[in-house]
Amino acid sequence: MEGIIDMKILIVDDSKAMRMIVTRTMRQAGFGEHDFVEAADGAAGLRAVAETAPDLVLSDWNMPEVTGIEFLRALRERGDTVRFGFVTSESTDVMRQTATEAGALFLIAKPFTADTFTQALSGLLVP
Amino acid sequence: MTLTHPDLQVLRPEHVVSITADVWRAYLSQELVEHSLGVDAPAISGRSVTGCVNVSGAWQGSVFVQCSADLACGLAETMFMADPGSLTADEVGDGLGELTNMVGGNIKSLLPGPSVLSLPSVAQGASCTVGVPGADLLHRVALMSPGGPVMISVWKASST
Repeated sequence: MEGIIDMKILIVDDSKAMRMIVTRTMRQAGFGEHDFVEAADGAAGLRAVAETAPDLVLSDWNMPEVTGIEFLRALRERGDTVRFGFVTSESTDVMRQTATEAGALFLIAKPFTADTFTQALSGLLVP
Repeated sequence: MTLTHPDLQVLRPEHVVSITADVWRAYLSQELVEHSLGVDAPAISGRSVTGCVNVSGAWQGSVFVQCSADLACGLAETMFMADPGSLTADEVGDGLGELTNMVGGNIKSLLPGPSVLSLPSVAQGASCTVGVPGADLLHRVALMSPGGPVMISVWKASST
């Protein structure tokens, strides 16, 4: 898949601290030139996708209101094919399979490093 | 109640140490070392902050991360890249809650499934003690960070 320059990236996590860490790590991984927007849970993420039309969504899994997997399934049910990846503290084989089947491109397990993002986003983003 | 053999095999104290150390290293750039007193390390006195996540399903229990209020504040300031004393109590709780979520989530990944991890909850107060009625203490690990001790405890519900 060819990388895209100047992408809009939506970061969805109920922890404000983690949203900041994900953004900071993306910059450390060389993706600081892209635009970042944030949402605090899956419900807010659905609204943010509709309002901002991001090129990529990085979402936590375990969130109040609408979880990450519910968020992804809701996007696909309404025909939205936005590129989607999970950033989550849980990473069992079952979760990875569930994520893939729902349409996620990758699952990054916390704790992560800048290298983790570089590898997962290789081909998706141009640093 | 005597804990069953498989519980102690799938989740060992060194797993808890390794998981917690990885989280601290990744997000706080701190190296944790085991407390010199091991499991006999004293409880945290004074004002403390305690994060908790619960696991329910094939394995049921809770994971707690506890430290002093001053240390929790310092950890959150590092996570937020904030000036000393500039964070609210909610932001400090958010920081320790997320650290607890990562420690608990990685511990859950080692335990029998399927199971569900709760959202983290955080308690702040003076001289808090951690306990879960009807559960057994599976592991208690004491680690030292540059800012003071961090206590991690894993409780297993007696009925599972």
